[in-house]
Order: sequence, then C-alpha cells, then structure tokens
Amino acid sequence: MRPFRYFNAKTVGEAVELLGRYQEKARIIAGGTDLIPSLKNDIFPEYPEVIINIKTVRGLDYIKEDDEGLRIGPLTTLDRIAKSPLIRNGYRIISEASESVGSPQIRRMGTIGGNLCQDVRCWYYRYPHHAGGRMVCILKGGRKCYAVAGDSRYHSVFGHYNGCIAVNPSDMAVALLALDARARIAGSDGTKVVGMEDFFRSPNRNLAPDEILTDIIIPHISENAKQKFIKFRLRSSIDFSIAGVGIVTEIDNEICRNPRIVLGSVAPVPVRAKSGEEILDGSKIEEVAGEVSEASVSDAKPLKGNSYKIRIIKTLVKRALFSLSRDAQN
Amino acid sequence: MTKKYRYIGKPSRRKDAVDIVTGKAKYINDIKLPGMLTGKVLRSPFPHAIIRRINTERAEKLKGVRAILTHRDVPDWKMGIPPHLRVLDRKVRYVGDAVALIAAESEEVALEALDLIDVEFEQLEPVYDVEDAIKDGAPQLYDEFPNNLIPLGNPWFGSKNAPEGLKELITGDVEKGFREADAVVEATVRYENIPNSLPLEPPGAIARWEDPKTVHVWLTSQGPYMDRISLYYIMRREFNVIVHATQCGGSYGTKGTVLPIAIYAILLARASGRPVKLCYSKEEQLTAFTLRLGSRLRAKVGIKRDGTVTAISGEWFVNTGYYSAVTQGQVAVGLGEAQLAVRCDNWDLRPKIVCTNRNNSGWTRGFGGQELKSALLPILYRAMAKVDIDPVDFFKKNIVKEGDGYYWRDGNWWISRVIDFTKAIDRGAEVFGWKKKWKGWLKPTSIDGSKRTGIGVGVHSNADIGEDDAEAFVRIDPDFTATLHVAVSEQGGGQRSNLCKMVAEVLQIPPDNIFISPPDSNINPYEFGLVGSRGTYAIGSAVIEAAENAKKQLFELAGKKLDTAPENLETSDGVIYVRDQPERNITWRRAMGPTRTIMGYGRYEPDYSLCNFMMTFVEVEVDMDTDLVELKRIVNATDVGRIIDPPSLENQLNGCLGSAGIDSAVFEETILDNKTGRIINCNLIDYKWRLFQDLPEIKNVVLETPFPTPVFGAVGVGEISTAPGPPAVMMAISNAIGKWFFSYPATPDRVLETMNSPGDN
Repeated sequence: MRPFRYFNAKTVGEAVELLGRYQEKARIIAGGTDLIPSLKNDIFPEYPEVIINIKTVRGLDYIKEDDEGLRIGPLTTLDRIAKSPLIRNGYRIISEASESVGSPQIRRMGTIGGNLCQDVRCWYYRYPHHAGGRMVCILKGGRKCYAVAGDSRYHSVFGHYNGCIAVNPSDMAVALLALDARARIAGSDGTKVVGMEDFFRSPNRNLAPDEILTDIIIPHISENAKQKFIKFRLRSSIDFSIAGVGIVTEIDNEICRNPRIVLGSVAPVPVRAKSGEEILDGSKIEEVAGEVSEASVSDAKPLKGNSYKIRIIKTLVKRALFSLSRDAQN
Repeated sequence: MTKKYRYIGKPSRRKDAVDIVTGKAKYINDIKLPGMLTGKVLRSPFPHAIIRRINTERAEKLKGVRAILTHRDVPDWKMGIPPHLRVLDRKVRYVGDAVALIAAESEEVALEALDLIDVEFEQLEPVYDVEDAIKDGAPQLYDEFPNNLIPLGNPWFGSKNAPEGLKELITGDVEKGFREADAVVEATVRYENIPNSLPLEPPGAIARWEDPKTVHVWLTSQGPYMDRISLYYIMRREFNVIVHATQCGGSYGTKGTVLPIAIYAILLARASGRPVKLCYSKEEQLTAFTLRLGSRLRAKVGIKRDGTVTAISGEWFVNTGYYSAVTQGQVAVGLGEAQLAVRCDNWDLRPKIVCTNRNNSGWTRGFGGQELKSALLPILYRAMAKVDIDPVDFFKKNIVKEGDGYYWRDGNWWISRVIDFTKAIDRGAEVFGWKKKWKGWLKPTSIDGSKRTGIGVGVHSNADIGEDDAEAFVRIDPDFTATLHVAVSEQGGGQRSNLCKMVAEVLQIPPDNIFISPPDSNINPYEFGLVGSRGTYAIGSAVIEAAENAKKQLFELAGKKLDTAPENLETSDGVIYVRDQPERNITWRRAMGPTRTIMGYGRYEPDYSLCNFMMTFVEVEVDMDTDLVELKRIVNATDVGRIIDPPSLENQLNGCLGSAGIDSAVFEETILDNKTGRIINCNLIDYKWRLFQDLPEIKNVVLETPFPTPVFGAVGVGEISTAPGPPAVMMAISNAIGKWFFSYPATPDRVLETMNSPGDN
C-alpha cells in the first residue's frame, strides 16, 4: 500500500465536512473488505490521499422497527443482519441476501452500507498495478471498456452505463429494492431520502463526493407478502453473484398483487423486471411462472460471452416464484 | 504374515506441528536479516514488445532506493532448458515479464520507485494459441526457436542410450494396429485451462553475499541441494551458492521453478551490497509464476471389443508459455505414464513444445502426466463407448502388470516389477458402488427434476517414485539420539517427520529422539528434492541405508565389548543386546564412549521398474436448468505397499481436489484475456478454488500389498492424487447430460455450449 492520511470521524457531520474538504481525494472506510484490496492492488489512477474512518461514528449501527418501518444503520454488519430474529421473522429476504454475501469473516467485517456502496468487481477494473500496470478503463476515465471485446462472462446482459458493462455486485441492493426501501443520505447541503431505485444510477459511484449513507428504511410490508432471494454462484462458500433474483409479492388466494421482481449482478445497476411484474400482477404463479421468467429477460442484450446468464436468470425467477407459491400454501 | 513395526504405520505427531500452529515456524517472509532491503520487479504491460528506451534516473533519485537493474546491467546468465531465459532481456514476452528490478529500504519506496522508471516499448504482435504459434510467419518469441518450437529432450533426464531422454513415444506399427481394431476413434481434446496449483505461500527468495564469490540464498524451496546445483550452473560455475530452504508453505511442484526469483535477489544483493528479500505477492503468483502446462491432443485410438487397445497415434501440443523450465522432462514423464495406464503395443505419439506470449507453464504436480492423461483419457472413453466396455473393466485389463515393458523418461525400456493393482481397482469400485450406479455410456445414474447424476472414473500411475539420486547421513550420538542429515525441505506433506520415523524404526528409539538437520545445501549431502512421489521410495531408501550403516558401525563397537559378532546383536531403546541372550547387553553410551559419534551414509540410485497407482471415481450432479456442475462424491483407490504415517497419507489423498487437480475440471482455471494478454482472474475470488465448505464426500481406499522396496515395502503416492480425477469428471458429466463433454473446466457457459451443439458432442 501507499501512504495516506487517516481520519477517525466522530460524527456524521465531521465525516461530511472531511469529505467536502477532500472531495475525490478521500475515501470512506467502514469494514474495509472492499476498499483495502483495491488500495493494496493500487487500481485507482489517483491514489486516495485521505481515508476517513466512519466506524468511529456513533449511532449508525442498529436494527429497529418504528413508524417508518424497519430501520437498519449503515454500519450494521452483514453478520448481525443475517442473525437478527427481527429481520428473519419479518423481512426474510434481507436475511437471505445478507447470509449469501462473502464468507463468515467478511460478513463480520463488512457492513450493509459498504455492501450498497461497493465498487465493481470487473476484473479489468480491478487488475493489480504491480502485475503489469493498472487498466484505465472507461469507468476510470479511460477510453474503452476492455470487457466488451474481452472476457465478459460476469458482465452485464442488460446493456452498458456510459460504455461500461460492469455490473453492480450488491446482493443487499436486490433485497432492498424488492422491498421498496429508501436510503437517507447526508451531505454538505443537508440530508435527503431517496428510493433505492433512484439511489443506484451507476455501477459503482452512487453518492456525491461529499455524501454518506446514514440510514436505510424498509417500509412495513403487508401480512400476506411473500419474499425470496436466490443467488447463483459457482461456489456456495464464497462468491459474488453471477445472477441474483429477489421477489416480493402479496399473495391472496393464490393471486399475486403488487409484485416486485429485482435482478442483481446482471446490469450496471440492480434492475426491476417490470414486464415480468406486469404479467404476475393479478395472476397465479403456477399459471404464469414461465411467462414471467421469459418476460424478465425480454429486454436482455447478452454478449457472446455471457448469454449463459439468461437461462440462469429465467431459472432463478421461476424457482423464486415457486418458492413463494409453496410458502403461501403453507 | 505382515511384519510388526513399532512406529511405521502408526500416526505420529509432526515435528513442526506446534511451530506451525503457534506461528513459530519461519516461512520466508518471517526471516529478517540485518540491513535487509526489499526487492520488487517492474513488470511489462504488454505481452510482446521490445524495450526501446529505459530511463531509471527519476527512480534512482528517490530517497531509499539502493539498486536498480535493467537488461543493460545484468550478466548474460540463462535459465531453462535449453538455456534461453535471460535474467532481464531487451525483449518482453508476456504481460508481467520482468523489465527492471529494484531494491529499496522499504516496500513502499520500492513500489513508488517502480512508477518512476520510464520505459518506451515497441509493441510486437503476440501469439497465444499453440497451433497459431507454430505456423510460418507467426510472431517469434526467441530467435533461436524457429516457429516457437522449443527442442525436445532434457539432458538432466538422459541416459547412456538416450543422452537427452525420451522425446517421443514410438513403438510397434500403428497402421497395423488400426487395421486390427474393431473401432477407431479420432478426436482433439484441449486441457488448456492452465490452472495454478497455488500453494498458500507465494514464492520468494533472500540473498546475502558473504564474500565476492559466496552467496547465501534463503529460498521457498522443495529441493535445496538441487537448487544449489542449478544456481551454480546458471551463474556460470563461478560462484559458491549456499541454499537454505525455508519452511515451505506448499509447493505442488511449482517451487521447483523459483530459480529466477533467487537470481533477482542475488543480483540485487550484489548491486546494493546489502541482503535483499524479494517475495511475490499473491497477484504475482497468479500472473507471473508457474501454471500447469497447456495440453492439446489430436489423437486416434484403435480398440478391440475385448478392450485391447491396438494403436494410439497423435500429435501432442504442449503450451509452455514464455519459457520452458523443465517442460521437456514433463513431456518425457507424461509419455512414460501413458504407457502405465494403457497397455498398447503400437504407439506413435509425437509431442511439440511451443512457447507463447503468456506466463510460463511448467513444474506442477502431475508433471506432464496429468496434462496428457486429461486429454488422452477422454478420447479413450469414446473408444470404450464404441465397443461398449465398462471403463472399470477396461482399466483393470489395461493397467500396468508385472513383466510389462515401457519406455521411461531416460529413454530406456524398463520391465515392471510392480504389484497387482487390480485388487485396489476392485475394492475402490466396491466402495464407490460402481456396478450399481453404472448405467452405460452417456446414461445418467439418476434423474431428479432438473438434476442429473453421472459417474466417471480415471486412472494414473507414475514410475517417478524411484527417480533421481538421493543421499543421506545418519549420525548416532552417545546420548541415545540420532540426527538425520538430508536436504529435504518441509513443503507441507510432513516428509521430514516421516523420514525421522524411518530412522526411529531402524534404530528402535522413539521418533522424539531423532533430530533432523536444517534443510540446507551446506551441511547435507546431495538430494534431488521432494518431487514425483519420490520422498518415500527414493529418499527413504537412502535414509534407511544410512541408518542401517550407522547401526552396523554401532554394533561393531558393541560386538567388541560384548565379545560377539555384530550380526548377533539387536538394539532397542538405546540398549544393544545379544539376540536370544538379552541379559548380555550394553548401552549405546558405553559401547561408543562419551567422545565419539557414528556417521552412517546411504545412497540411492534411480530405479524406474516400480510405479505407484491411483484410481479416482467421481459422482457429479448437473442442474440442467442452470448448467451448474457440482462434484458430490469422490472415492480414491490406491495400493501403497505400506502406510508410513496414516494422517499424512490421508491428507495427501484428500489433496486431490485443489492444487490444479480434480477442480481443474470443475471450476479452476487461469483466464487469459486474448485481447490484452493479461491474466484477468488474478485474485482469490475470481480464481475459483474450493473452500472447506465446498468439499464433497471423499473416501480413500488404501491397500497395503508390500512392494519390493527397502522402505518397509512402501512407495509414495502423494503427487499423483490430483491426476486421475479431471478426465473422470468429464466422463461423469458426459454420462449425466447424455452428450460427450470435454471442455475444461465445466463452468455453466461451457456446459450450455455443449448442450446447444448439434450431435452427441
């Protein structure tokens, strides 16, 4: 690693003030499971001059329920979330997503805020500097996306973001988007609340340089809502998703209402499969599952190297739907 | 009946166990010498280029930089076979090739200095595919190797009859063989996913010059004495090199190719006048250290209905990457091993060693044999299917038998003295439940919704268990202890402890009373290294002979004092007594006196008439809706003659999955981007290797039918536990999905591609 200045922020205000002062030259560290390897591998053209530790900020580590719904503090570890009875009983899709992240060690270090704000896993973007030089791809301000002409097996099947086909790898995003969650963000200009769909605008940088995430709000869900998260990966011990699917829907006498189908790790941002949702809304799973799964990928534009993901997404959608249906019957 | 042993065959605690688990064991990165600098390598961003200009001025001015070397500053020493790899060259041949070396006061300074070296490259066109590389007009890596063909033959492996060893496998008359066949199959199989056997500890070296002619090198070594000899030759026989092997955090063969790193440290230490440590990072281990050979086989197989193989002919393209460390030797061993698994009178197998613009492939367990077998067995499976023979029956018929002849790596024709391996095959098949699960070729064992189960089997055998010379000393001290002097490093298998156990058995004193010298080249006699499963038979034979020799000298002293011939004596727990009259006895101390030591010497010379054996049965499950392949069960079957240490053996057999083994058929691969020449999955998330949570059920069937060896009837087997599995997985998937699948590794994209292709393949 190279030398950098290190600040322990005591409050959100102090963190925001430091971010405002150092802007692009600063990075936030919480669990560090994403940042540290990228610093060690020296992947950024501009090495961060300042690291701001927010683990020292009090009051950002909580799981509670109030009038707004379920609230999770961004510094809450994935391990704590996965083990929370409150979440398991009422918001199971969050438990399922969090226990699928990383390994036990990573879940004990990694936070939900870090999971939502993590950088892309694209292997060109992450290529280590000391093994022949970092790759300055289009997402780092370079001229091209190496994955388009290269090996795109883990890349987007739903188009690009400004020429970059990396996917946002967050599993938590899939669950939170399916639950229609919101994020509270603090910045130099005060705080704001945005829906998860508006939060994700690019594969990696979704906060302004002077912003930090301060709260995650999950609205109360209806009594008859059913939820399921499924992640496809090569190793069940530790792996990022090749594809992830999260579905939340109300089921009333076998009829689905207000379904939300979210696909993760297949597009530059987590995406809702809206044409699939439309078919599912007002229908019985057994009658439309195939159609819903087909519709979920109808907009897909896979590349030669990643078309296999399409079958996986369709299968995951079907399996998630059948799991909800079984759940509703029990 | 079986002889009773006091220590052999019983579990014993490894001598280094407590040190390892308490962090006391000294791996290379734990060693700090006074005044030591950190060395780093500036690596090429291009797969093929000429260095037009290189300017180090800015880097030299950085505070803390103590030495910078470029191709202009290094001696013209060459490595590889034949010698061709320069320490630093004007030409770079892969992304990651060394452009410059730096020694600095700290790692941070060294890394900063790397960015201050200005290099102007002239890019050349790269070539990655073996068959593209040998075409006329293809980009040339080395002037001395036209068409990128590196000459076959390895003088280190040669013999009187064949000074460069085995170069190709030609016996009988293949045309006649094909005419006699009931079925002939032709196919091309690629085992080219160049997995990295990825020992936990990356390679590294420390060098310290004692005087202008003598240099000490600490090395992550699997053979310190052999490394000393290699370095001596690389350095033009002008220097005295003393190699100290450090506790080695796994090698799987790869650390046999640590020599370029040693040379970097040696030259930086000379240039800076200070000790220099140069350790690779995990990323460098994945991008710039040894991979498995790329193996492409275009072959034709003739078979009779009874499973007799009448002829095998073909071209074997071996991709060695940017240089050949010992690839010629691997090719020779691979050709030898093919004959041990498949009895055939008519062979015409011609290898080509091709260099390409990627990181090097070379010395890795399986050593040529796994690479050839993983391409050859799939073609044989298709032939077996044509005559509808059960593969277990085929292997029982075709595994090497006593009296069979074969060419080995030295180019000589050897007649096997081996034991009967069919017992192990039968026992393995029984434990696996083969007969019940085998439904025929391209037929799944079971179908449950989208999940299909299939089974497969592969076999491997290696006569390298008796390879190369070994020497050892055993010193008996009058305090009822003995010290074994042998240049064997500890690379994780526990061999140092097990060699002590052999001495304990011969001298009949507890293993705790046996010490072992540090693994360096200065105080120990010649030893080739822990490779090719030779630790038990080759090294063990030398160690036992040294212990017997020391005991004989001890008995001569005791015989005089007890007034009897040495042949009448026995010893136990430091007491020497007359056989049948144990009351006539004397302690070691009294027999020797307090001011004497006894030194026994043992030497072993190569014997290729014995081989080890491993058969691997696998069961896979394929999800037909996601194309995900899961390995569910493994049964390994072997006969080792005699178990020296049960837990050591169990661990070696359980090691069949990783280290570029069975998982090279499941998900392990090094992904080379053909557009940039970069290895892009150079981290431990994108390089898929199996974690403990992902382990399938593994059962090891180990028989003990004594071999004719002096090592209590034992032979080694550890190296080959990875080798039979990869093609077995291919067979199992083919059976599960009902189509031939030979695409390493079996990731969902590859399974889907096969499912979508027309026909049965």
